Amino acid sequence: MRALRSIIAATRVAPVALLALLVGTAGAAAQTLPEQVALVKVVDGQAFALRADERSELGIGEPIFIEDVVETEAGSVGLTFKDGSRISIGPNSRVQFSDFAFAPTEGRLSFIIDFFRGTLLYVSGVIAKLSPDAVKVRTPVATVAVRGTRFLAEVEGD
Amino acid sequence: MLRFLLTSLLLLSLAACAGGNRFVLLEEEDGSVGAITVANDAGAQTVDQPGTVTQVASATAAPSAPEEISQEEIDKTWGASLQASPLKPRSFLLYFITGTDILTQASRQQLPEILASIREYPAPEVTVTGHTDTTGSAARNARLALDRAEAVRGLLIDAGLDPALIEVTSHGEDNLLVQTPDDVDEPRNRRVEVQVR
Repeated sequence: MRALRSIIAATRVAPVALLALLVGTAGAAAQTLPEQVALVKVVDGQAFALRADERSELGIGEPIFIEDVVETEAGSVGLTFKDGSRISIGPNSRVQFSDFAFAPTEGRLSFIIDFFRGTLLYVSGVIAKLSPDAVKVRTPVATVAVRGTRFLAEVEGD
Repeated sequence: MLRFLLTSLLLLSLAACAGGNRFVLLEEEDGSVGAITVANDAGAQTVDQPGTVTQVASATAAPSAPEEISQEEIDKTWGASLQASPLKPRSFLLYFITGTDILTQASRQQLPEILASIREYPAPEVTVTGHTDTTGSAARNARLALDRAEAVRGLLIDAGLDPALIEVTSHGEDNLLVQTPDDVDEPRNRRVEVQVR
C-alpha cells in the first residue's frame, strides 16, 4: 500500500513530496513510520498491542502496524485489513502480523501471520484471491497455507 | 518396552483430548469453499471439506487426516473468535461511459447506497481502486485506472463523504474481474471498485 501511495505521490502530489523533503526531519520521520495494515473493528473485553516494547490497550478504530503483536487475556478482538481480510482472536491468544504487502501493480502480495497461541478466525481478502500462495499462518507446530478461504485455528502454545 | 508403551498410551490419550492444535476449514460467507494445507517437517494435510478438522500433536508429528467436527465443538472452542469477527467488507463496482470519466447512470445511482453502507461500519474506511482491461501498456493502465479512481473519490466527497476516510489506489490491469489474455478489450474490467470496510 505504501508503494501504491508512492506511485500516487509521484504522479499527483510531487509538490507536496518536495515540500516534505524541504521540511526535512518532519518528512523523514513520516517516512520511517511503520506501515498501517489494519484497523481494530471489534473489541470484547480487553485486547492489547505490543509495539516497540510498549503494551497498550486497543480500542475500536485503532491502527495495527506491521510487526505488531496483538494479544488477549479474557477478551477478544477483531481486525479488518486493508485488502479486506479479517482476523479475530479469542481469549488467551497471541498473534503477530509479520508481513503484509498489498501492491498488485508491483507484484508485491504477501500476508504472513505468526500465531503463537489461542484461538483465531481468518477470513480471506483480496491478497489471497490474487495470489493463493501469498498467505501463510505460521504456528509453533505447523504452517498453514491458505487458498482463499475462511478457517479456524487453535494453538496450545507454551 | 513397558515405558515406551506407557508413553505411547499417554500420548494417545492426550491426542484424544479435545483441544490442542486444530485447524478447521469453514465455508465462506458466500457459500464457496477454499482449502488450507497444514504442513510441518513430519508431513502435510490438505483440508478442503468445510466442517472438517486436522489436528497436529507437535511440530514433529504429521497433521492428522481430516475428520468432521461438530458445530457444538466449533462454538465451544471458537465462539469468542467468531463473535469478534468484523462485519464483512462490501464492494461496489462502478462503470464509466466509454472513453470518458463520467459514470454511467446506473453507477451514479449507487452513490447514495455506498454512503449509507459506510454508516454501518465501526471506524469505517473506504478504498477506491481503479482497474482497467488489458488493452495497452501496464504503465498506461495503472495511470488510467488512477484517473478514474480519483474521479470517483471526487464524486464521493461531493456526495458528503469525509475525505479523511478515503484512500485511492490503482491496480491497473493486475486485478481483472474477468480473466482475459493481454490486449483484450473487456468493458467489465474497466471499473472502479469502492470497498467499504
